[in-house]
Amino acid sequence: MSELIAVPNRIKRLIVESLHLEGMRPEMIEDEAPLFGEGLGLDSVDALELVVALEKEFGIKIRSQELGREVFSSVSSLSQFIEGRT
Amino acid sequence: MRQEKSALPVRRVAVSGAGAVSGLGWGVRALWDGLRSGRTAIRPFARFDHALHRTHLAAEVADGDGAPPEELIRDCPDWRRLSVADRFALFAALEAVRQAGLDLPLAESGTEAGVWFGSSTGGMWESERFFHRYVTDRRRSRLADLAAQQVNGPGDAVARRLGVTGPVQTISSACSSGALALGAALDAVRSGTVEVAVAGGSDSLCQLTYAGFNALRAVDEGPCLPFRAGRAGMSFGEGAAVLVLEPLERALERGATPLAELAGAGSSCDAHHMTAPDPSGAGAAAALASALRDAGLAPDAVDFVNAHATGTPLNDAAEWQALRSVFGERAAEIPAVLTKALLGHLLGSAGALEAVVTVLCLLHGELHPAPGGEREAGEDGQSAALPASLVLDRPLPLPGARTAVSTSLAFGGSNAALVFSRFLETTA
Repeated sequence: MSELIAVPNRIKRLIVESLHLEGMRPEMIEDEAPLFGEGLGLDSVDALELVVALEKEFGIKIRSQELGREVFSSVSSLSQFIEGRT
Repeated sequence: MRQEKSALPVRRVAVSGAGAVSGLGWGVRALWDGLRSGRTAIRPFARFDHALHRTHLAAEVADGDGAPPEELIRDCPDWRRLSVADRFALFAALEAVRQAGLDLPLAESGTEAGVWFGSSTGGMWESERFFHRYVTDRRRSRLADLAAQQVNGPGDAVARRLGVTGPVQTISSACSSGALALGAALDAVRSGTVEVAVAGGSDSLCQLTYAGFNALRAVDEGPCLPFRAGRAGMSFGEGAAVLVLEPLERALERGATPLAELAGAGSSCDAHHMTAPDPSGAGAAAALASALRDAGLAPDAVDFVNAHATGTPLNDAAEWQALRSVFGERAAEIPAVLTKALLGHLLGSAGALEAVVTVLCLLHGELHPAPGGEREAGEDGQSAALPASLVLDRPLPLPGARTAVSTSLAFGGSNAALVFSRFLETTA
C-alpha cells in the first residue's frame, strides 16, 4: 500500500514521526526546503535517526560515506537518492 | 582536606536564587505552598505501569499549572531530545537564575560560572523506554532516548542553556549526590574558581530504581512515615532543585537580595556495607560535625535539622544515633523537618531539593510539617518511634531560626551535610 504514496511524502512523514517534531505536519515541509542547519534546523543526531528510519522504511542500506550534505540537503534530494536505490 | 577558610579569597557565600520542580508542582511558590499545607504528594502515579510491583505510589511531577511555559521550550533547540530529568533541571535552573537577576547567557554576559549537579537517574527512564521498544518493536526505538540516558545529562543541559563555559561537573553518589554537588560548588566559589555556581540536582521516576528498592523490600506500601513508629520504608519522588551561589559581597554589590548563606559543607563515608547504614550513625555524625566545623559553628547554634529521614527502619535509626552523638541531649529538642514525607525520596537530587526547602524554612521563619502525626508503637522492635522533635501536621513558626543543617545519607554509606544560615542585613 505504501508504494502507492509518493516517495517525497513518505520521507516527510518519516521526518515528522521519527524525529518527533511536535507541531509539525508532513505537508508543512517543502520539497526543496533545507533540512539541516537552517530551514527545519535538524542536526547530526537527527541525521542518524533519519538514516535508520529510511533504511527500515525503504529496505535499503545507506553507507556512512553517503551521509553527505548533498543527499540530505532537502526532501527532494533525498527522494532522488532513494529512488535511485530501490 | 578543606583549605583553611581564612586563607580563601571568599569568606561568605550567598544563595542568591532558588528554583525547584517537585511532586508539589513546578516552581518554588508551588513547593512552599504545598509544604506549608503538610499534604503529601505521594500518591498513585502514571509515569510507567507499576501493576506488578509491591507498591504503587510516588510523588510524581504532574503536568498542569506552572508546567514548562512555551518560552522555555521554544528557546531550547534540543528540547525534544532532552530527558524528563533534563527538563526538570532546566526549569529549576532558569527559575533560580532569574530570581538571582543574572543575565543570560552567563559567559557572554561576563559572568564566570560553573555547574555542579547531582543525579542518580539522569535519563534512565528514557533508556528503559529505548530497550523496551528495541525488544518489542525495533522500529519504534529512538536514538534520542539512548542519547538522553546519561547521568550527566541534566547538569550538561543546564550548562548549555545558561551559557556556562566554566567547570561543569556531575556527581553521582546515590542519595548524597545533590548535597555533595552543593559542597563542591561552595568550594569553587570560596576559592575564586568561579564567580557564580549553579548547583543542584535532578531525577525522574524510572523502573530500575523502583524495582530495585522494592526488591530490597525497602519501600512502604503507603506514604512513608519518617522517624515514626511503624515506619515501613521509603517512598519515591522526582523533580529538580537548583541554587545559585556567589560571594556574599558580590551579590550585595550588584543589588541582589540573598535568600540565605551556605555556611558550610561536610562529608564522610561509612565504609560499612553496600546497602545498610552503619547502625551507630558514626559516619553521618562525622559528616555533620565536619560541616559545622567548616561553617565555624558549634552544634548549639543549630536551630533545626532537615533530616534525611527516608522512613526506613534502619536508616532513620542510624540517623537518630548520629543526631544524638552530635547534639547530645539537645537532639531530642531540635525540631526535625521530614521533607521526604511530602516529596518522597528523589535519590541523588534529594539533597538539592531539601537544600531549597531548608533555605525556604529559614527565609520564612517557619518549618513545614509532615503529615501522619505520631504513631502507635509497632510490635517490630526495629520500627520504634525515634524521640526526635518532629514537626508534624502543622507548620512550626520559628522566626528566630538562624542556622539549619540538612543531612543526606546515601545508600552505600556516602554521607553529606550542609549548613545554611539565615541572611541578616545587620551581619552583611
